Amino acid sequence: MTTRREHLLKIGVSGIRGVVGDFLTPGLACAFAQAFGTYVGAGRVVVGRDTRSSGDMLYHAVACGLLAAGCEVVDIGILPTPTIQIYVGATRARGGIAITASHNPPEYNALKLFNSDGLFFNSYERGELLDLYHQSDFRRATNAEIRTATSDYATPPRLHIDRVLQHVDAERVRRRHFKVALDAVNGAGSVMTPGFLRDTLGCDLRAISIDPTKPFPRIAEPRPDTLGALSELVRSSGCEIGFAQDPDGDRLAVADETGRLLDNDDVLALAVDAALRRLPGDVVVNLMTSSVIDAVAATYGRRVYRTPVGEANVVEMMQGVKAVIGGEGSNGGIIFPAVHLCRDSYTGMAFLLERMAETGETISALAARLPRFYRKLGKVSFEHGRLGSLMQALEESFPGVETDRSDGLKLILPDAWIHVRASNTEPLLRMAAEARSEAEVEELYARVLKLFE
Amino acid sequence: MISQPAAKSLRISHVGLRGVVGSALTASHVLDFAAAFGTFLEPGGAVVIGRDPRASGVMLREGLLAGLLACGHDVIDLGIAPTPVIQHSIRRLDAAGGVSIGASHNSAEWNALKFFGRDGVYLSTAEAGELLDIYHLKKFTFAEWQGIGTVTAKTGAIDRYLDDLAAYYDFAALRKFRVLVDCCNGTSSLILRRANERFGTEFILINEQIEGVSFAHEPSTTRDAVALQLAPLMLPLHADAGFLFDVDSDRVALAAEDGTPVSEELVLPLLADYLLPRAPGKLVIANISSTALLEEIAARHGGKVVRVPVGRQAAIDALSTYRPEQIALAGEGTGAVMMPQFRFVYDGIASMLAILSMLHETGRTLSQILASYPKYSILKGQVPLVTQRIPALLMDLRERYADGRVNVLDGLRVDWPDHWLHVRVSQTEPIVRVICEQKGDPPTELFNSLLEEVRSFA
Repeated sequence: MTTRREHLLKIGVSGIRGVVGDFLTPGLACAFAQAFGTYVGAGRVVVGRDTRSSGDMLYHAVACGLLAAGCEVVDIGILPTPTIQIYVGATRARGGIAITASHNPPEYNALKLFNSDGLFFNSYERGELLDLYHQSDFRRATNAEIRTATSDYATPPRLHIDRVLQHVDAERVRRRHFKVALDAVNGAGSVMTPGFLRDTLGCDLRAISIDPTKPFPRIAEPRPDTLGALSELVRSSGCEIGFAQDPDGDRLAVADETGRLLDNDDVLALAVDAALRRLPGDVVVNLMTSSVIDAVAATYGRRVYRTPVGEANVVEMMQGVKAVIGGEGSNGGIIFPAVHLCRDSYTGMAFLLERMAETGETISALAARLPRFYRKLGKVSFEHGRLGSLMQALEESFPGVETDRSDGLKLILPDAWIHVRASNTEPLLRMAAEARSEAEVEELYARVLKLFE
Repeated sequence: MISQPAAKSLRISHVGLRGVVGSALTASHVLDFAAAFGTFLEPGGAVVIGRDPRASGVMLREGLLAGLLACGHDVIDLGIAPTPVIQHSIRRLDAAGGVSIGASHNSAEWNALKFFGRDGVYLSTAEAGELLDIYHLKKFTFAEWQGIGTVTAKTGAIDRYLDDLAAYYDFAALRKFRVLVDCCNGTSSLILRRANERFGTEFILINEQIEGVSFAHEPSTTRDAVALQLAPLMLPLHADAGFLFDVDSDRVALAAEDGTPVSEELVLPLLADYLLPRAPGKLVIANISSTALLEEIAARHGGKVVRVPVGRQAAIDALSTYRPEQIALAGEGTGAVMMPQFRFVYDGIASMLAILSMLHETGRTLSQILASYPKYSILKGQVPLVTQRIPALLMDLRERYADGRVNVLDGLRVDWPDHWLHVRVSQTEPIVRVICEQKGDPPTELFNSLLEEVRSFA
C-alpha cells in the first residue's frame, strides 16, 4: 500500500499526526509539546503512550518540550488511552498527552491532547493551541524554573478498573468463569486487558497478541476483515465471546461464540442498552451510526442526539446534553461518562459480559434480539467543483425529507437514511444508506448512485 | 552606529552548544543538535550520555535522547556523571560517541552539550565543522519506525573509571594525605566518596551536596574561588592539600596546606614539573595566555612548550599534529589539563591525583614545592568590547610595543626577556581580555598603560 504524500504529516486542530522518520520528527513533537505546556501552564502534565516502536523516542521529545515550558512531567508508560485520560482527570494534572496513532498503521504516530479533566479540548481551545504552536510563542523556563520528570506506572490501571467496577456487577460475571478470547494487537491493551479479564472478571482467558514489545501482527484497526485470527481462536478453543482492541485500547470489536464478528453498531447498541438499563439520561451518536441506537433508546423513552463524525464532536455534545452514553458505531467506540467521557473498550467488555451473565444468553442471541437494520457503504469519485450541485440534486430528488447538514448531507427518511460526505483527503464521496430490509437499502443506494453518474 | 554586542548568552561553535537556558538556549536547539550528532555518527553505534546536576539538565537530556533515538542510535545513560567519567565510559563500552550535558565552570543558569567521538575523544575541528554543517542545514538522517533506538541506564561507570585510575596511581600511598575538597555542588563528590570507600583515602568534602539551582559559589577554578571557602579551612582542618573542582569535574584549582589559595596559573607548571621527568614525551601544549613559568619548568626537564591559541579546540588540534608519545601534557591556565595516559581528556580528578602523587614521591609539601619555583606575577584585566575597532586596536598596540617579539596567533602577544603582554577578544563574553606577566614583581606600570590604551578604543 502506498501512502499519499498529504497523509505523511498532518498538523491541525486535532493535534499532530504523521509517519515517524522524516515527517513526524522529534523536533516537531517537542515544539508541539512546548506549545501545549505553554497553553496549560506550569504544572503537572501526564504523558502515556501505546506500544509503537517510536513511542519511547517521542516520549523523550514530548518530555523535553514540556520541561522546557516549565511543566512537571509524569510518565505513566505504556497504557490504553482511556486509562491515561482517567488518570489525568483523577489526579487533576494541568493536562495530558497520549502518544498514539490509535488504529493507524505502525509507521504512524500522533499526539492526543487532553485538558485537566482528561477530556479533549473544545474546538476553540484547540484553535488557540494551534495558533500558539505556529507563533512559536512558547514559555521558556529558566534553570531555576525547570521542574523534573517523575513516573507512576501502578496507579492508572487501578484507577481505571476501579471506575469500571463501580458500574458492573463483577461478582456475577466472575461466577460464570466465561471462556473469553482476546486479541490485543500487541498494543497498549497488552499490559492491562489480560489482568482485567482474568483476574478482575474471573474469565478463562485465551489471548493472542499480548506482547507489548512486538510489532502489530495484523492491521491495527479492529475490523471483521482484520480479525481472522481472533475468530479462529474463538472457534478452536470454544470461547463464549472474543474481544479485539486497537493499539491504544479505546476501540473494541467483538466476536460471537461462532467466531463471527458482530457489527460494531450492534456492539454499541448492546452497550447503550446496558447503560440505559441502569442510569437515566440521553444518548449521543454520530450521524453515520445505525438507527438501531434510536430503536434501543426508544424502548427506554430516551432521546438520541446526532453529531458530525469524530470522537471530539460526540464528546462535546455528550457534555452539553449530559448524556448517559454515546459513541460512534462504525469504529467501535463506546463512551460511558460515568466511567469517563472517552472511548473505553474496558467498559464495553464489562457491559457485554455482565449482560451475558445476567441473561444467561449467548452473545449471538443478545445481538439477534436487536432490531435489524441493513446498511450499505460505498464511495464514488467526483470532480472538484461539482460537489455542490451533486448535493443539491440529492436533496431535490427526495423532496420534503428531513435533512441534516452538520457533516455532509444526511437525508432522514421514515425508517431509512442516506448520508453523503466528501472525504477530507481525497476527491471521494463517501456514501452510506440504511433501511429495514436488504431490498430497501439496495434500492435506496442504487437511487443515490444513479444521481451521481 | 552599530550597537554594543549583547552579552553572549548563546554560543554554537566547534566546541558544541552552550547558553543560558530559557532566554537563549532552547529545547529546539537541543533537539536539532542531538539530531545533527545522531546524523554525524556512524549509523547504528551506541551513544553514551551523562549530565551534571543543573536542573535544566533534565530537559536537555530528554531532548538529546529524542534526537539520538530518532536517528537510530541506542543510548547508554549514565545519569548524573562527571565529564571525564562519561568520556571514559565511551571507550570502555566501545560506543560510537558520547555527549556530556553540563556547563562546567559556568554559573547555574547556563548549560551546554559537549560532543565526543569514538574512544571518548573530543571532535577535531574538521569533525566539529561537519557536525555544525549538519546542524545548520537541518538535514537529519532519521531512522524509519522499525529502526529507532532504545535507552538503557548503566551503573558502575565510576567504578570502571576508578579501576583505570588505580592502574596509574598508588591509592594506598595516598591514604596518608588528609585532602580537603570543595566539590562546588558538582559531580566530583560522586568519585571521591567512592574512592574513600574503595581505597580508604581521606578526601574531606565540602559543598558535596549535588545541587541543581544554586551552587555554593561560582564554579570557576580560580584562585579567587579557592580563597572563598577552601583556603580558610585548610589550617583549621589540618589538611595536607586542598582542591576545588568545577561542576563537571574536568578542571581543578588548588589550596596549599598553609591556607594559601594557589593561582590557577600554577596548576599546569606543577603538573609539568611532575610529569616531564616521568613521561616519555617532552612537549607541553599550552595556550598563549598562560604563565611563562611553564617554559622555565619545562627547560629544567629538557622539555619544550608549544604555545597555541586560547580555547580547547586549539589544544585538540595541536595534539593531532604530534604523536601521543611525544607529549607530556596539554592544558590551559584554567586548571584544565589532559595527559596522554588518560587519552587526552580534561580530567580534574586525574590532575589532582598526579599532584598528590608528587607530594608523596617528593616528600615535600605543596607550599614547599611552589616556593622552589621562581616568582612570576600576573595581572589580568578586561575592557568592554567594541568589535569594529579591534583590528585598529591590535595594529596600534603592535606599533606601540614594536620592541618585543610579536605573536598574532590569538589577538596580540608581545614577549620581552622577563615579561609579556597579551590582548585578546574573549570567546565567551563581550570583553577584551588584557594580561601582563613579569618575572618577579607585578608589571603594574606596563599593565596600567596597556589598559588605558585598550580603553581608548572602547
